[in-house]
Amino acid sequence: MKKRGIGLGCSWYGTGYGNGFPDVSSAFVEIHDDGSATVLTGAVDVGQGSNSIFAQIAAEELGLESQDICVYSGDTDATPDSGTTAATRQTYNTGNAVLKAVRQAKSSLLDYAAHEFSCPTSEGIELKEGFIGVKGDPSRRMPLADMVFQARLKGERFISAESSTARSTPVDPETGQGAPYWPYAFGCQMAEVEVNTETGMVRVLKVVAVHDVGKALNPTQVEGQIAGGVTQGIGFALLEELELKEGKINNPALSSYLIPTALDVPSIEALFVEDAECTGPFGAKGLGEPAMLPTVAAIINAIDDAVGVRITSLPATPEKILQGLAEKREGLEK
Amino acid sequence: MIEIKLVVNDKPYTLEVEPSERLIDALRNRLGLLGTKEGCGEGECGACTVIMDGKTVNSCLVLAAQANGSVITSIEGVGNRRSPHRVQKAFVEVGAVQCGFCTPGMVLSAKNLLDKNSKPSNEEIGIAMSGNLCRCTGYDKILRAVKIAAEEGKE
Ligand code: FES
Ligand code: FES
Repeated sequence: MKKRGIGLGCSWYGTGYGNGFPDVSSAFVEIHDDGSATVLTGAVDVGQGSNSIFAQIAAEELGLESQDICVYSGDTDATPDSGTTAATRQTYNTGNAVLKAVRQAKSSLLDYAAHEFSCPTSEGIELKEGFIGVKGDPSRRMPLADMVFQARLKGERFISAESSTARSTPVDPETGQGAPYWPYAFGCQMAEVEVNTETGMVRVLKVVAVHDVGKALNPTQVEGQIAGGVTQGIGFALLEELELKEGKINNPALSSYLIPTALDVPSIEALFVEDAECTGPFGAKGLGEPAMLPTVAAIINAIDDAVGVRITSLPATPEKILQGLAEKREGLEK
Repeated sequence: MIEIKLVVNDKPYTLEVEPSERLIDALRNRLGLLGTKEGCGEGECGACTVIMDGKTVNSCLVLAAQANGSVITSIEGVGNRRSPHRVQKAFVEVGAVQCGFCTPGMVLSAKNLLDKNSKPSNEEIGIAMSGNLCRCTGYDKILRAVKIAAEEGKE
């Protein structure tokens, strides 16, 4: 018989290295005389899209388009260290470093422009749509490229180096007090599954995943990360088991360590909530790891809802489910 | 060494290959076609997919010598930046690429499906793509991209 069930899973997750470890990211920035800018950072884009995020952050701050920004990343010869692409930290931590660096280069540009436009303060200058000019006075503005070009001929350069450190404290083991992480990411997911009571096989029919991302700097990437996380969560819940024997991995191959294929994934509805993180770049915070966590609990709860079997070790293999069903039957017979 | 003749991306080649040399090595090392990726090297992941005589194959499981006389399409033969194949265009449009390691294989599997079946159902798409593993995207956007490319081809 095939039985269906629905389950819910929630998660909160501390992003960054945490526990008092100094979490530092850094960036170099230059604004060029062709109206483009370069960002150099050690942060490695492994496909999650951090380079796009950094380009967007710089573009937003400079009133440019993200294709005007050239991001060089992950080159130990040329880029400043920004820690690992881990701990769900690049958008938040390196994003903050990039924003600080862009703002620093921008502030010397604004000072220069204020002088050129005979504006008493740089606060009266704005960068918008590739132009630099006096706020509220469209007659006094020029292309950003022209301003930087003129400045260049006078020996001015708009370059900066900045770093951003996320601070946390270790937790006191006696009192449990401390601030081990900042910020926290929150997520909630629901899964619908179908359990075959004869074979113990579980099919995930649908997952709805909602995550608080602070601010979705790139909604397409957010959706992609959620769907990727959910699929890894399905693998974690149902398939993936690292078998260790005397410290050695028994199944170090994709033929023996199974991960989900296109046929194992259900329709995934990826949604996000934007509750601005005031310490993040434009309100953003990380999403990477948290996207897979609630999936596991949601699926395990959905299995329970479907057939009343409580799985307490991962993955929920057909064997474990059949055993649970058999125990339940025995319990009833007694 | 064995002499083989084959056509890759519409160009004829004559190559001297080792008896134990795999097709993926001939493509990457002898022809410099680095778009074909090696993920697992054991026929599980599909990153090394190429189209050989109208069928997708894992080029890590095919000996170069077995490809003698065959016609092969690798990702370099499927459109480029200026004029991308409709599958590639759809991948970019929906954001179906994250790390990109699976992408060449995915694109070839999708292209070969659409070449044979211009109106695939969701299920047929799923089956055609199930030999290509992706660890990043959760397949969601990939399957959607194939659907979009299929619809575009219908017009
Ligand atoms: S490299 Fe050939 S299938 Fe994985
Ligand atoms: S995009 Fe990374 S494996 Fe598919």
